[in-house]
Amino acid sequence: MKTGVYFCNCGTIISDQIDSERVRADVIEDGGNAAYFKTCSLLCSEDGKQFLENELKEERPDRVVVAACSPREHEKTFMRVLSAAGVNPYLFQMVNIREQVAWVTPDRDKATEKATRQIRAAMARVARQEPLEKKELEINPDVIVIGAGPAGLKAALTIAEAGRKAVLVEKSPVLGGLPVRYEEISPTMECGPCMLEPMLGEVLHGEYAERIEILTSSEVADVVGSYGNFSVKIRQAARHVDLGRCIGCGECITPCPATTNNGFNLGLGTKKAIDFPFPGALPSAPYLDPDACVRYKGEDCRACKDACVVDQEVINFDETDRVLERSAGAVILAVGSSLYDCTKVPNLGYGTVPDVRTSLEFERLMASNGPTDGELKTSDGRAPETIAIIHCVGSLDKNHKQYCSGVCCEYAFKFNHMIAKKSADAGIIHFYRELVMPGKDGFSLYQKAKDNPNSSWVRYDDIGAINISAAGGKPNISYTDSAGGRGGVAADMVVLCPAIVPSGASERLGALLDVSRDRFGFFEELHARVDAAQSKIKGVYLAGTCQAPMDIQKAVNSGMAAAGYVLSGLIQGRKLELEPITAAVDEERCSGCRVCVSVCPYKAISLDPAKEAASVNAALCQGCGTCVAACPAAAIKGNHFTNEELVAEMEGVLR
Amino acid sequence: MEDRSQKTEKRGNDFEPKIVGFLCNWCSYAGADKAGSAQAPCPPNVSVVRVMCSGRVDPQFVLKAFTQGADGVLILACHPGDCHYKEGNIRSAQRHRLLLKMLSQFGIDESRCRFDYVSAGEGERFIQVTTEMADRVRALGPLNISECGMKLLP
Repeated sequence: MKTGVYFCNCGTIISDQIDSERVRADVIEDGGNAAYFKTCSLLCSEDGKQFLENELKEERPDRVVVAACSPREHEKTFMRVLSAAGVNPYLFQMVNIREQVAWVTPDRDKATEKATRQIRAAMARVARQEPLEKKELEINPDVIVIGAGPAGLKAALTIAEAGRKAVLVEKSPVLGGLPVRYEEISPTMECGPCMLEPMLGEVLHGEYAERIEILTSSEVADVVGSYGNFSVKIRQAARHVDLGRCIGCGECITPCPATTNNGFNLGLGTKKAIDFPFPGALPSAPYLDPDACVRYKGEDCRACKDACVVDQEVINFDETDRVLERSAGAVILAVGSSLYDCTKVPNLGYGTVPDVRTSLEFERLMASNGPTDGELKTSDGRAPETIAIIHCVGSLDKNHKQYCSGVCCEYAFKFNHMIAKKSADAGIIHFYRELVMPGKDGFSLYQKAKDNPNSSWVRYDDIGAINISAAGGKPNISYTDSAGGRGGVAADMVVLCPAIVPSGASERLGALLDVSRDRFGFFEELHARVDAAQSKIKGVYLAGTCQAPMDIQKAVNSGMAAAGYVLSGLIQGRKLELEPITAAVDEERCSGCRVCVSVCPYKAISLDPAKEAASVNAALCQGCGTCVAACPAAAIKGNHFTNEELVAEMEGVLR
Repeated sequence: MEDRSQKTEKRGNDFEPKIVGFLCNWCSYAGADKAGSAQAPCPPNVSVVRVMCSGRVDPQFVLKAFTQGADGVLILACHPGDCHYKEGNIRSAQRHRLLLKMLSQFGIDESRCRFDYVSAGEGERFIQVTTEMADRVRALGPLNISECGMKLLP
């Protein structure tokens, strides 16, 4: 076996500190390998790379060692040169004699000795290396997007605009997530539907809409497969209204005899059994709620069907839930978030004291398509004269959620502005722990709230020191502020700004997709700063508030980011290239003990029941080698980092 | 006591220990490079073997290193929570704790096998850890493997 050793002088940086002639003598003397040794002044330069390529073509070595800078710097560079010269790039070792020898060893003799030792070790290692090839995998370029809030909509639209198919799975019968239910959006006071309608219009009827399959009232029930080839089962509840044919006139609603609580208004107000979630909801078609409809309680009612102006086929009482199967190469999780359960702060009286509302309920009370048609009134119909807004309910609180939810101050000041517009004389008291309004436009509504002569401010340290009880059918607030001062105020309405927390869907989908969640229950990012839109499972991406609390701008951007990962990773018409540095199981040696399955951080190993042996999914394996070290039977080989290769290198440095 | 006198004799005045350092590619190896970029002297005793993850370090490599003449072994990993492979460093730390028990049963001083965390930015820490290790093993003297129970290993 012929091994070529190339020693880079790195200008004179390495040669000043390491005597290449002494290294040459030792390497050649080493015998064992039929080795040759050549120096080059700067191997990474264009001339140097050309020199190396010509050399390799001429000498045709079986193995190549380059002693130069850190492999973190130029390993890939030289591997490309090897490929260009027709040498398998995995028959190559780089020895770091610059960063880890020349620069850190002031004594020239010691530096030369150490360099020799490391080069000999690399020669021993490279002799045991095997040629490896990148594998290719057929992929499905389509994408499943779960959740049709701003983040999911943007992701699906971006995918479709790039000529790819997106399946948009939304659990509710309506698109747009939470912001579509808001009358106004901070900081510009744009109306929620107005902000989202252009995007919704594109998704529903735009130029690329045919590439987006919208599945409302749907949930992902099962996922198998992995990056490049997922197979997803989606359970869709019957809408009983044909989305393709309904014109959204709403004639069916009036004759419906059954009413029920409207969940979209958080139980405030009612709706008919067949109804829109709220006026203006898209897709523009009502849905029938079988739990409320008298027909499903045994009555032979067909009032809605008879009222339909299109035909008798649009409303279908017999429609049943169905399970759809879709294939995709990637999954984008955009399932949004929920609000912290305010009953966990019982002293605030949520659920027991009248007119104590969450921010979401208040959004609906202020909405012109909400239960009061946008009229601000208390539960007994009065216009409120004093409204208390309590910030940081469960946020920044070691007894509840330690993090700042980041958007609550902004919407609290939005509420201040909206209240002032509706009722110029209403007093507004902000109870706050901290005020947080980052970014270039967060200050504007804060300034307005500060300038509002009816605003007052109470800073508190402990939310436990705010007690809200019912007095005369109204909320009565007694508190201790951060300076220790005690106070009390009678309010007509209290708005709680709860922490943003992961929704129930996160737990279910996390388990289904093996996507890990952080200590707060949000999906965990591959890297919280530089790869926040990727989960730790390859091919599953994160968008919007299921990753962390964030405002609409960030959520939409993260939807775009998730789509970007898909578009750059899975390319239509191209196979997925798989790195060969992965683990491989020797089925003969494997006893099926599953130790490797439990230590794999990427869920890349599964037990093949037919063979009773572990099997590594090369598309998921990242080549860390933890399973290789864990296997009690030495049945797993870590490609390019095999036991034999590493032991040879180790023995080499010890000689 | 006899062993001790023998060791002292072997130690001499110019004993330089041989130390194998298993460094993970993403943090510790980059930390070693950082020390290099700063051109700060590091003990030449530590010879680096690069692995992709500290979780790849099979405890048998460490035993093998001792039987092949190493006086000390370093395993350097990403800090907890920073592992490029999520949790390989935690696996490595767990294995190291068990390995130390085994080494002491063989009569090998536990400080001959050190596990530690060095991040990509911690060039100074790399120097500190390797210097401490070289000093410690130099003070312990050469590992006379034939005196250890490990001779019983194949």
